[in-house]
Amino acid sequence: MKSEEHELNDIVLEVVGVSKSFPGVKALNNVSLQIQRGEIHALVGENGAGKSTLMKILSGAYKKDSGQIFIENEVVEIKTPKEAREKGIAIVYQELSQLNRLSVAENIFIGRYKKRFGLINWNLIYKEAEMLLRKLEINIDAYSPVYSLSIAQRQLIEIARAVSMDAKVVIMDEPTSSLTKQEVALLFKIIRELKRQGVSIIYISHKLDEVYELCDRVTVFRDGNLIKTSDIKSLSRQDLIQYMIGRKLQNQYPIRSSSIGDVRISVESISDGYFIDNVSFEVHKGEILGFAGLVGSGRTETMRLIFGADKKKNGKIYIDGKEIQVNCPRDAVENKIAYITEERKVDGLLLNESVRINTSLVSLWQFCKFGILKLKSEKEAVQKYIELLKIVTPSIERKVALLSGGNQQKTVLAKWLLSNAEIVIFDEPTRGIDVGAKYEIYSLIGELAKQGKSIIVVSSELEEVMGISDRIAVMREGKIAAFLTKESFSQATILTHAIGGF
Amino acid sequence: MGTKTLKYKTLIRKLWDSLGVWLIFIVLFILLSLLSDNFLTGSNLLNIVRQISVNGIIALGATLVVMSGEIDLSQGSLAALIGCFCAMLMVRGISPIVAILIALMVGFLIGIIMGVAVAFLKVPSFITTLGMMYSLSGAVLLLTNSQPISGLPESFLVLGRGYLGFIPVPVLITTVVLIVTWFMIKFLPFGRYTLAIGENENAARLSGINVAKTRVLIFAFAGLASALGGIVLASRLSSGQPSSGSDLSLQALAAVFIGNASGKKVTNTIAGALIMGLINNGLNLMEVNASWQKVALGLILIGAVGLDVVRNKNKS
Repeated sequence: MKSEEHELNDIVLEVVGVSKSFPGVKALNNVSLQIQRGEIHALVGENGAGKSTLMKILSGAYKKDSGQIFIENEVVEIKTPKEAREKGIAIVYQELSQLNRLSVAENIFIGRYKKRFGLINWNLIYKEAEMLLRKLEINIDAYSPVYSLSIAQRQLIEIARAVSMDAKVVIMDEPTSSLTKQEVALLFKIIRELKRQGVSIIYISHKLDEVYELCDRVTVFRDGNLIKTSDIKSLSRQDLIQYMIGRKLQNQYPIRSSSIGDVRISVESISDGYFIDNVSFEVHKGEILGFAGLVGSGRTETMRLIFGADKKKNGKIYIDGKEIQVNCPRDAVENKIAYITEERKVDGLLLNESVRINTSLVSLWQFCKFGILKLKSEKEAVQKYIELLKIVTPSIERKVALLSGGNQQKTVLAKWLLSNAEIVIFDEPTRGIDVGAKYEIYSLIGELAKQGKSIIVVSSELEEVMGISDRIAVMREGKIAAFLTKESFSQATILTHAIGGF
Repeated sequence: MGTKTLKYKTLIRKLWDSLGVWLIFIVLFILLSLLSDNFLTGSNLLNIVRQISVNGIIALGATLVVMSGEIDLSQGSLAALIGCFCAMLMVRGISPIVAILIALMVGFLIGIIMGVAVAFLKVPSFITTLGMMYSLSGAVLLLTNSQPISGLPESFLVLGRGYLGFIPVPVLITTVVLIVTWFMIKFLPFGRYTLAIGENENAARLSGINVAKTRVLIFAFAGLASALGGIVLASRLSSGQPSSGSDLSLQALAAVFIGNASGKKVTNTIAGALIMGLINNGLNLMEVNASWQKVALGLILIGAVGLDVVRNKNKS
């Protein structure tokens, strides 16, 4: 079993013809992939290309619609995360889910405590944890509480936990996104040690440098399809990026002519003190400024600072040349800024309340006379926006939880349109909604710009951000890496700035 | 047999969907009418609503707190303190109206203090109000030397013991509080904000709602309701009773949770209080040991909430 040289073509995990759809989206289309024993296999692709969906299927978080999964040549059904673990697939999440007050050893063996006479045998647990850490050459005390560790060390603990479960395949999703250079080096050392011990690693990353440094093979995903699997050595970066981008899709964005006026909002070197670093930009009247960048590049964080959802440390915001103070979302709303958040279910909607209550929430003052709500005028206004946005709902009293994703998103839009905002920030406005509704939302964004409003669109879909923007700001690691004007829009240019050159 | 039970199930579900927790009230009502000859009499029914009035007032205050996703355990102690405080003011010769206004103000202020602790210091409401419950129940013993305060003016006793026509005055007061609470939820932005915060605090904040201010107001309203409940109780007992608050908080919360099992509505809180009143009254009429009342109440509380969880599961 533990020979130093692993047999070539010793397939430990095989995926055959796996597909998965969500309402309106084909997230994975007939994907087949083989993972060899002891290889480090990179998965790359744009956001939403299908990498994460596949990993979620492998780790039991999603159910596949069709296809088969083999582990060591045996068909397996993975229905829950627990089953995935038992079958030897471990996943190290981007967001760590450890119990901070417990010790390293407790976290490694949690849920699988060794017992003696029905009591937990702590001696054995700490002994085994120390052995395991030594084996992996991880230099961390098994007794220290997890909260005293750095993020990188915590990640190593997660990896140790995976190994302690005899994982055959360890999936890592963007493991270096919050690590320093030294920590990355340490992580790579451990990953190589795992490889030496015959564990296979599936390594999801946007950072091509890392992929070239660490991985043996690479698989490219695009739009739910597996485009290419190749030895990393025989694939140039230019080709890799080309595979990631693919051909141009046909025009799915409404044509609009923009008439751009004076500067409306100007943001001057705002920082949050630890990640967002001196971000400055301005948006004109009638202009749509797109924000591109990788997930985690700081676009949402920047918008939250502007909207007052998070505290900014430095920087100023001007509207029509006058400085405004934004310390909380209320201040932003009063300055006619609207922010349509990325996760409508998490922070956009009151899911168990009606369309009416959701739509009027920002603008209740409009319907007040002597501080008392006039329900009739509220109803009329909400009705007007339902018609304007073609929200499909049997009545304005319908719970928004019962609407489709597209109609939920339109309800969020209705809420902010009703507020008469002049500066509208859209964060991933079309995520998880079908193509038809997307087109309507693009038209609406265009319409708002035509009315002279200033629009910011944060989007991880390159097609989308190029399709609707007048200008694009590309962010990388908390800073603005470049501004692109319409003539210089291209997927390659954006990706180059987003990834950091090649 | 299977289809028959299924039919019953859908019937029950339909009734629950349309009537909500009032269904439990109706069933109990019919049951008690059949079981006891003395139940369905005007005087007994009036007696029930009179008995639940203090619980109803305090529970209406608790309703907003629960709607906003928080909890207030201090209401009973606050009611006892304010009842005794008001009684002391009057015994010292202050006119009832002035005494009541001052006492209400104090309740309101204590509510604000708790609201500030929850909203600005971010102390969880469970802790804040548990702490306040202890402090206030100590304070009332210090204030009164642990002795009841009697000798209250006749005019004050109208609040808890009087009648307007055939309607007991405390029932009228509860009705007014009900209407005020209902109005706030339906017609004031404050009511909307309360709902929004309870449903999704993040979304509320990002919609420009001043969450902290709303929270403070919610606790202030609960404090005011507790104070009013305490004053009516003191009037009903003809004295300020330092130990009268022990059970009130939990009774109010039981009314809110039974009532709002089927949906957030102010009127449902009254249904919850009425259900509790029916259980007490019915078991009294049937001469059942009073301790069974608590057993039954507890089971109904769990049952009502459980029923709704099952219903929602089936729906989705």
